[in-house]
Amino acid sequence: MPEGFAFEEASQGIAAYRLAANGLQVLLLRDATAPVAAFMITYLVGSRHEPEGRTGAFHFLEHLMFKGSARFNKEAGASVFGILQRTGARVNATTSLDRTNYYEMLPVEHLPLAVEIEADRMRGALLRREDMERERTVILNELDRGENDPIRKLFHAVWSAAFTEHPYRHPVIGWRKDVEQMTPDDLRQLYDTWYRPDNATVSVIGDFDKTKTLECIRRHFEPVANPPKPLPVVCAREPAQEQARRVVVEQAGWQGAVMLAWKSPCGMDTDTDALDMLFAVLSAGKHSRLYRRLTDRGLTTSAWGTVSRFRDPGLAYVFARPAPGKTHEEVAAAIQEAVDEIRDNGVEEAELRRAANQRKAQAAFSRDGAFSAAAELSEALAAGDWKLYASMQDRLSAVSAEDAQRVARRYLVRNACTTGFYRIADGEASA
Amino acid sequence: MTVLSEAPPGKQSFVERISERRMGPCRLIALRTPIRDVVTWCGSFASAPDLGRREALLLQHLVVSMLDKGAGALDQFAIAEILETRGAELAFASDTLRIDFAGRALKEDAPEALGLAALQLREPLFPEEELPKAKDRIAASVKRSMESTAAQASRALRQRLYDAAHPNHAQSFEAQLAQLQDFSIDDVRTYHAAHFGANAFTLVVIGDMDEDALAKVVDERFASWPPRDMAPRFAATAEQRMPGSSVVTLPDKENVDVRLGHTLSIRRNADEYLPLFLANFVLGGNFSARLMQTIRDEMGLTYGIGSSLAGVSTEYGGHWQVGVTLSKEHVQRGIDETAKQLRRFVADGITSEELEEKKTTVTGSFKVGLSTTFGLAKTLLANIEQGFPLGYLDEFPEKIRRITVDEANSAIAQTFVPDALHSALAGNIREEDVRVIC
Repeated sequence: MPEGFAFEEASQGIAAYRLAANGLQVLLLRDATAPVAAFMITYLVGSRHEPEGRTGAFHFLEHLMFKGSARFNKEAGASVFGILQRTGARVNATTSLDRTNYYEMLPVEHLPLAVEIEADRMRGALLRREDMERERTVILNELDRGENDPIRKLFHAVWSAAFTEHPYRHPVIGWRKDVEQMTPDDLRQLYDTWYRPDNATVSVIGDFDKTKTLECIRRHFEPVANPPKPLPVVCAREPAQEQARRVVVEQAGWQGAVMLAWKSPCGMDTDTDALDMLFAVLSAGKHSRLYRRLTDRGLTTSAWGTVSRFRDPGLAYVFARPAPGKTHEEVAAAIQEAVDEIRDNGVEEAELRRAANQRKAQAAFSRDGAFSAAAELSEALAAGDWKLYASMQDRLSAVSAEDAQRVARRYLVRNACTTGFYRIADGEASA
Repeated sequence: MTVLSEAPPGKQSFVERISERRMGPCRLIALRTPIRDVVTWCGSFASAPDLGRREALLLQHLVVSMLDKGAGALDQFAIAEILETRGAELAFASDTLRIDFAGRALKEDAPEALGLAALQLREPLFPEEELPKAKDRIAASVKRSMESTAAQASRALRQRLYDAAHPNHAQSFEAQLAQLQDFSIDDVRTYHAAHFGANAFTLVVIGDMDEDALAKVVDERFASWPPRDMAPRFAATAEQRMPGSSVVTLPDKENVDVRLGHTLSIRRNADEYLPLFLANFVLGGNFSARLMQTIRDEMGLTYGIGSSLAGVSTEYGGHWQVGVTLSKEHVQRGIDETAKQLRRFVADGITSEELEEKKTTVTGSFKVGLSTTFGLAKTLLANIEQGFPLGYLDEFPEKIRRITVDEANSAIAQTFVPDALHSALAGNIREEDVRVIC
């Protein structure tokens, strides 16, 4: 065992370590298929942790993390993007509801550089006022781009209607007014609270030398101290939805859309596994219920569904595009009928088997390349446990037809459904 | 992740590890990599659409979209059953002068999935009752593009730059929606009969394969596929046009997408291509390139800006394209500042330091791009389609390293002309709101 680390556990080839000095978690997965490595650091903080009136703060912070840190900045001739992209690295970051991650996918010989940069900006980000002002207009442009897209607006509208108190009701990019009013002090305070070793996990996947990599991580991250205040605990609850809700987005365009969403349990809950399989039966492939009932009958041009796996209860939803001449109401009713059919009559074993095989193949495909494994590990961490990634196949295989019907009855209930329509604004050509 | 006992990548060149077989008109390229259980393939053949006929590409797209609606003795659900019970993936796409197909499957299922691909390509049923639904799905996809300022601006630029017979021309969305309705099932069947055959047919398979089992299925299903007697029917060069501007006004779109571009006569296999590619990369190839560093990072005017050599092939010319996304209130300044950067780039060229930085970027990202089975398969196929030898995969990094700053600056001076740039804008903006002078 390299100095400074405690081995925690291993599963499916992934080994978990903890840096004794500050509690940083490290996950290693060796993959010698190509001479590259993915380095990803996941902070367990996202829009769920934003105070009221500061929506979009962690996304804003993510942008500023590229504006420079103590050692890596433009003035020093070593901007984060410049120095990493010089190696051919694919570099970026994403902010989500429960987590923020930063990643580098690069030739393995440059892995130490990624370690060094992420360690430096964990507590050393500059977060300068002038950088913030320049980046604010960049983010407002990103927000405008999103607002151009009626489907994105529909998703925001449905999540905002389905959640009345929980911060999942806010878009990750934030509401425009909050982004316009965000101050450097706001970001500094959130950065100092949440960006710290004991709230972060480093994942390394690729063709690396284990001992050298752990030593490199220790050398750069060990000096990074946690702030004196302990990590706050954020408890966010959403009251039970007792009545169906409906929301309409109207915007110029050419093709409408329908979305039906129901509350789903936490990502770690085994009921989410059952819903996951149920939604595969409902919407994956031509044998799915939605394809046969909607698309093959010419009611929709496409229909699909998915279940969120977040820290707190989220949404399971179906999205569909009405075919020409078909109304939103017809499509919503047909989706509801497909769901009711499963609730009343359950699913067939053959359907579940097909879904399980699809997931088995998907799991193999997801290990094709270091980045996809890193990204899935990050989502598992956000949901509550990295081992969710390693155990997913077993969890899904354990779902029975009875489980699928039980969760349909428990969660896919009409009173807890939020329906969203994207309608073409008057005066425009329509579907 | 379990690793198989393969020769470690990097110890041998790609060309030493690749196997090549000829099976009738099919060229099968295979490369085993130490991924467990996964096999990925990419294939293509020349379809030679007659680009003199405006509707040819749309009809080709419709034909391809119906390949999964039944083949041989299998209806669409029987095909889906084979794929879905195995979690295998198979997709077909119309790529202008070629038809592409790609897929992946677990090792044991790959031969059957590939055999199914052959059946769908060679013996599609084209059931008449599926035609209206296929048209609706294509119309839906066209309408989604109509809602995108990026798609609208890119399309408008291509319409400015190319005649209809050029492969990079883009038909208007409205014309596509109108023409779509005119196609009959006979049109679909006739097009398939005339254009689907083993012309310049290549199949690249990568991953944890049983090579003999795959070769057997390719031999059985593809080797007897006859080529068609077809000659290329397209305009390889674009006629030079006076620069001008197009504005697509889209209500409710506060973000405006801008495209600037002019045509290029250079071909992908010209000696000057890679110096030009690298020079353009300095301008707008990634986040640390000049355009992102100035227009986004220093001025905060945009979320994204970049430049590319678009649509250049060994068979026909393409265009230099600069794309930028701008909030409405920053459109004029964003365009003006972008134009300044373009003029500076062309007038002063690039420095040795910039060139050396981008060389390591391009060679490093090339290595990263080849780290998945799909990345490898796609790159190998693209090289073959361009007429490059298999060894090009090994030679590319060295070709990049050898480029000198004089070659790059000479390519800039000979090729890029800011005064010749056309512009296309899409968003909630009118022609009189903006002045584009590069």
